[in-house]
Amino acid sequence: MAERPAAARGGRTATHVTLLIGAAVMVGPFLWQFLTSLKTLSNAMKVPPTFTPDWRWSNYGDVFELLPFGHQILNTVLMTAARTAGQLLFCSMAAYAFARLRFPGRGLLFGIFLSVLMVPPPLFVIPQYEIMADLGWLNSLTALIVPGLFSAFGVFLLRQFFLGLPKELDEAARLDGAGPLRIYWSVMLPLAKPGLLALGILTVLWSWNDLFWPLIVNTDPEQMTLSAGLASLQGQFQTDYPVLMAGSLLASLPVIVLFTVMQRHFIQGIAFSGNKG
Amino acid sequence: MTATVTGTADDVRTAVPAPVPARRRRRWRHRGAEAAWAYLLIAPTGLGLAVFYLWPVLQTGYFSFTEWGPFGGHEWVGLDNYRTLAADDEVLTALRNTVAYTLLGLLGIPLAVMFAALLNRPRLRGVSAYRALFFLPVVTMPVAVAMVWRWLYNGDYGLINYVLSLVGVEGPHWIADPATALYALVAVGIWTSLGYNIVIFLAGMQAIPREYYEAAAIDGAGALAQFRRITLPLLSPSLFFVSVLSVIGSLQLFDLVYVMGGSGQSARANPAFPRIQTVVHLFYDKAFYTNDRGYAAAIVMALLVLIVTLTAIQFRLQKRWVHYG
Amino acid sequence: MWKAVRVGAAAVLAAALAVTAAGCGSDEPAASDEKVTLSYAVWDKNQVPVMEEIAAAFTKDHPNITINVQLTPWADYWTKLRAAVTGGAAPDVFWMNGPNIQLYADNGVIMPLSDKIDRAKVDLTVYPKALVDLYTFEGKVYGLPKDFDTVGVWYNKELFDAAGVKYPADGWTWADFKAAAAKLTNPAKGVYAVGANLAGQEYYYNTIYQAGGNVISADGKKSGFDDPATIEGLRFWTDLIKNKQSPDLKTMTDTAPLQLFESGKLAMYWGGSWNVSEFGKNEYTKTRVDAAPLPTGVKQATIIHGLANVVSAKTKAPAQAWEFVKFLGSKPAADILGKKGPIPAYTGTQDAWLAANSQFKGKVFLDAVSYAVPYPVSRNTAAWNDEEFKQLTKAYTGEVGVEAAAKELATQMNALLAKE
Repeated sequence: MAERPAAARGGRTATHVTLLIGAAVMVGPFLWQFLTSLKTLSNAMKVPPTFTPDWRWSNYGDVFELLPFGHQILNTVLMTAARTAGQLLFCSMAAYAFARLRFPGRGLLFGIFLSVLMVPPPLFVIPQYEIMADLGWLNSLTALIVPGLFSAFGVFLLRQFFLGLPKELDEAARLDGAGPLRIYWSVMLPLAKPGLLALGILTVLWSWNDLFWPLIVNTDPEQMTLSAGLASLQGQFQTDYPVLMAGSLLASLPVIVLFTVMQRHFIQGIAFSGNKG
Repeated sequence: MTATVTGTADDVRTAVPAPVPARRRRRWRHRGAEAAWAYLLIAPTGLGLAVFYLWPVLQTGYFSFTEWGPFGGHEWVGLDNYRTLAADDEVLTALRNTVAYTLLGLLGIPLAVMFAALLNRPRLRGVSAYRALFFLPVVTMPVAVAMVWRWLYNGDYGLINYVLSLVGVEGPHWIADPATALYALVAVGIWTSLGYNIVIFLAGMQAIPREYYEAAAIDGAGALAQFRRITLPLLSPSLFFVSVLSVIGSLQLFDLVYVMGGSGQSARANPAFPRIQTVVHLFYDKAFYTNDRGYAAAIVMALLVLIVTLTAIQFRLQKRWVHYG
Repeated sequence: MWKAVRVGAAAVLAAALAVTAAGCGSDEPAASDEKVTLSYAVWDKNQVPVMEEIAAAFTKDHPNITINVQLTPWADYWTKLRAAVTGGAAPDVFWMNGPNIQLYADNGVIMPLSDKIDRAKVDLTVYPKALVDLYTFEGKVYGLPKDFDTVGVWYNKELFDAAGVKYPADGWTWADFKAAAAKLTNPAKGVYAVGANLAGQEYYYNTIYQAGGNVISADGKKSGFDDPATIEGLRFWTDLIKNKQSPDLKTMTDTAPLQLFESGKLAMYWGGSWNVSEFGKNEYTKTRVDAAPLPTGVKQATIIHGLANVVSAKTKAPAQAWEFVKFLGSKPAADILGKKGPIPAYTGTQDAWLAANSQFKGKVFLDAVSYAVPYPVSRNTAAWNDEEFKQLTKAYTGEVGVEAAAKELATQMNALLAKE
């Protein structure tokens, strides 16, 4: 490098200081959230604030008393799992067809898929809600899951991925007499693991954190997801800040843990969707 | 509505034509069979999108010309909703706020570029740890993020005003004061998406060959000149991508406003609420609080026009500054 | 292309609809020996256990009926209920309040009960007449009163002692209240006398009637907000904010008055009889607070309101739902309610409530019935309630004078009432 060593070292220190300040701003709110979640209401509202917790773990228990939190965790897990599995299967099927098979109307159909991405979700919501109501699906896991099984974005993401795989692979399989379904299942899917992982991670993230749709379709607290349940806890004026902090920490924890465990894949998945998608 | 934020990744990507196979393909014996398989494979997503996405868009368009009773049932009223909308202060304010969120939200981009550039310095230690910490807000539930910030922003007992008081500044009631509420929310938006943008930019920067910088260094270009002449132009596709995402995301802001500003009665008793109301929140309020769904449909059609216009402008402008390597 | 999409979508929908329709069975009233689950929507988390206890008592006599108590917090209750009604997913039985009864009855969402009441010979005179009237629309009774509530002043004894102020006594006046407020306010400790919450029922409706004003005319056709006496009732609160004896609206938006009171930042909290369970449970308040009657202005007044249980017009089991509502309105149910819940509406069952909450002067809320004013409503109460918030927010922040805001509110409200 052209920089002189001393200057480089100075620059490096400045870099670390800047990054550390940035990181503190990123993580600080979470620490404050945790600290507050262990305080009594009176101590949380001290001026100036106290920096020692009261170790009041009962705030976490209160969350379960105020909400059917166990149900909501289960709903969120099931919704996330079903949406993710559905999208991985359905999107990869369609993506494979668009990327590798020839059929009349391919361009047109793909164009129609593309058009879905251009539309902001609020435009779908009223009719989607009506459909759920007509089918008697309001306040059910089905309502949470079904519209989320289909994703134009997932098809695009995986199609781009399939397009990037070498053609020789399926050509060879064709010569061996394999049909499209065999090639999709035994040749393409195993090769598409990184793409599937990226889509899977993104879908988990969106489903877990989704608010708008669950808020609208499931009004019975036992059928709510965590984000909608938590939002209702906040709306309830009785709920105090320490309990809110405990609830919000509990609700976001699973994805944070997942992120910590699969950090590399998360980052790659995001970078993939942004740069290579 | 995080889904849409990244959901648009491909609006951008597909603008680049997909590679066409150079070689003639070897076909199955029956072209018809191949097509049949293709339709079969596309069918689940195709039908799902048709029923739950395409058909609803048309219906929403239709609903925007109807008026709904308090408990459902609707009748055709022609352009009434649009006429009301054009003169409705609440709608115009929400549109103005939404545009303000969108423009101010773009300030997050230079910030993310700066952090990405710092993380991209050669042989820097702890890059993955920094990246993980910056990324934490991205994976945290938006409702939880909004609650934490609501508490941090508390005018009387919040941490932020305590820190400010240490340097002798009396902080405002950030999200309850009409003068500051919008900016306070924008800051949370930037905070939330910073890690995501850094990851995109960092990936973009890492794809730039080191030799370019070495060659520039030999020519005597300093760090800043290198950044301006090499990094920025080669990063322009990522910058474009992130700015399109940021605009589309900001235009659909809901979660933050819902949790930090309130909804229904609590929003109405919040003196700052008119300053932070977004189009999508107004849509929610009309569609699911006052049950005025026809009017809500008209509001969201206006949003569609806004999004299409702003995105089209961005694509038009991109030709001037985005370089696809 | 679009046509194809539309046809395809319609076909899929039609098929799906056919499947569910076949699965749902008919809407005929179920035979009494058939197993039925009724959903029962409520909004108060504190009352969920007692509602479940009442439901269990009912199930004992009706083993084929299961009751599923659903809690939707107050902030979302009406939004969600309306959405559920619109979507055909309304709970079978649910809590109804004054502001909404006429809207729901007028739109045929809830079932008129008069015929059933006559046939079952239910005696309506056991409930306060104001409440039966509240739930009567165009001559038909739509709900059986469940409970009632009145408003009083909850005060923090510790803060009164610290400021050397005598506890509020029966017959205290606005002047007494204002004098106490001045002494109780302690900026150094961050303590305010009271929180001028922007809420009608516990706050400005009471002072409006105490000042001799009114919210809406007796025939429900004209707004009372341009009445000078009404404006005095509003000024009561805006003055408290102006004098910094109440936190401003920004502070109360950041932190709800209830939280401020429960952490010792407010010396007084205007609240209802329903607060007994919250304050009795909360560690901070259970030993520190007590109740007093509202201060007297030009006259003595408190808002009385009560909930009723209503039956969804679309319930799949109307016979069973009525059985349940009848039980909810009965003496055995009121006896259970009184022990663990709000004041039961059934005359003669209130002593249980007093005994169950003996740590507070609960009698304050029962005595208030004699001078209570019914909660002001009209056919579309929600429409002008929205307008109230919109206009009064400006007065409370000081953006607009209270008189100008109230007059503007009266104009808007009269326009809305004319449309009903």
